[in-house]
Amino acid sequence: MRNSQPESPVSSISTRLPGAHAPAQLTQLFESLRPDLVRFAHWLARDRAIAEDIVQESLLRAWRSRDALKEAGAARAWLLTIVRREHARLYERKRLELVPLEDVVETQASPRLTEPDGDLFTLRHAIMRLPIEYREPLVLQILGGFSTEEIARELTLSPTAVLTRLFRARNKLRVICGMAAAPDVDGEGAA
Amino acid sequence: MRCEDARLQIGAEPGSATPTLEEHLQSCAACRQFREEMHTLDVNIRRVLERPPESAAAGAAEAVRVRRLAQPPAWRQWALAASVTLATFAVLALWLLRPSETLARDVVAHVRDEPESWLAAQHVDATSIAAALRGAGVELNVTSDKITYAHSCWFRGHYVPHLVVQTTQGPVTVLILRHEAVSRRHEFHEAGMTGVIVPDGTGSLALLARGAGNLDDIAGQMQHDVHWLPQGS
Repeated sequence: MRNSQPESPVSSISTRLPGAHAPAQLTQLFESLRPDLVRFAHWLARDRAIAEDIVQESLLRAWRSRDALKEAGAARAWLLTIVRREHARLYERKRLELVPLEDVVETQASPRLTEPDGDLFTLRHAIMRLPIEYREPLVLQILGGFSTEEIARELTLSPTAVLTRLFRARNKLRVICGMAAAPDVDGEGAA
Repeated sequence: MRCEDARLQIGAEPGSATPTLEEHLQSCAACRQFREEMHTLDVNIRRVLERPPESAAAGAAEAVRVRRLAQPPAWRQWALAASVTLATFAVLALWLLRPSETLARDVVAHVRDEPESWLAAQHVDATSIAAALRGAGVELNVTSDKITYAHSCWFRGHYVPHLVVQTTQGPVTVLILRHEAVSRRHEFHEAGMTGVIVPDGTGSLALLARGAGNLDDIAGQMQHDVHWLPQGS
């Protein structure tokens, strides 16, 4: 698990948070992580404006709960968790009625103009089209650096269910990228 | 271990390597190939995820729906007020913290997110190197037989060349950062790695090696070998 105990990558930055006596340093830490948080929220929400709203709300929650953060090295995972929950909370609150993504993609200008690599373009769209139950654990694992066990705790699933979802997510992407699908595995087990 | 179990493990965690899995892979060429394909796929997934999705094409449906259904969010006013406060603190923080430390932090985090870059053993062909340099506005004098990894990576809002150069000190990561100007040399040590960021051209070069060591000679060599092209060329 890469980020279970993430460390500040630069030793000259103190890893001990100063508490209420030096809010500027905590603010700087939060701001330095903001691009990561927005990117993470963006892959969950698939919309930049919503992602920024989610991150803004998450940072407010984090600021109010800053006493819970003892080490700067744990800030990234802590904030990503808050962002994920805020995303889930937002969508629960709005009781969304989604329309099929295909209906919209086909009516929008193609973003291929901004993506020079055709294979990555295909993969990017494939990831965006993944259902949230597959996209979320994949993003948590790859962008968030969370272990299977941590994802399971966060999503209130069994580790087996998380493994199955991660496998299915990549298997779907394999097919879209032109590779043969691996035989599917049994169900997700107990959640 | 059955092939089905091996593929579940590989598909869920392509970087995992348990003794049971390794034992199975020694005797199963199909699963070995599956893992190689998954490694390649995972590198590409990571590259894609490191760049945010295109909002216009992807999330528009949900965005429209969210905005249509959402009540005027009262918390936004609080968010705005807090943003002003945070921004004030951020400005103060900028006086206290050197930007190069933040850059160093991002360099280390980026390299840690691509651990496979250290492991590459085969020389990268000239076409791949050219692809990595494409759009970065630089030319490179380094011969391709010294480069074992060359990718164009999304870093701090830009695609930048990410190279691994084989040296007498072992593999050294080089990030060519056209958009990251630094005023002076900055050395850092973290997570068992040694790094240095040096000003060059209109931007900077970041070098990172595993273990301790002096990267100044290599940095000097790279400063000599990297040629910055005029903006827009």
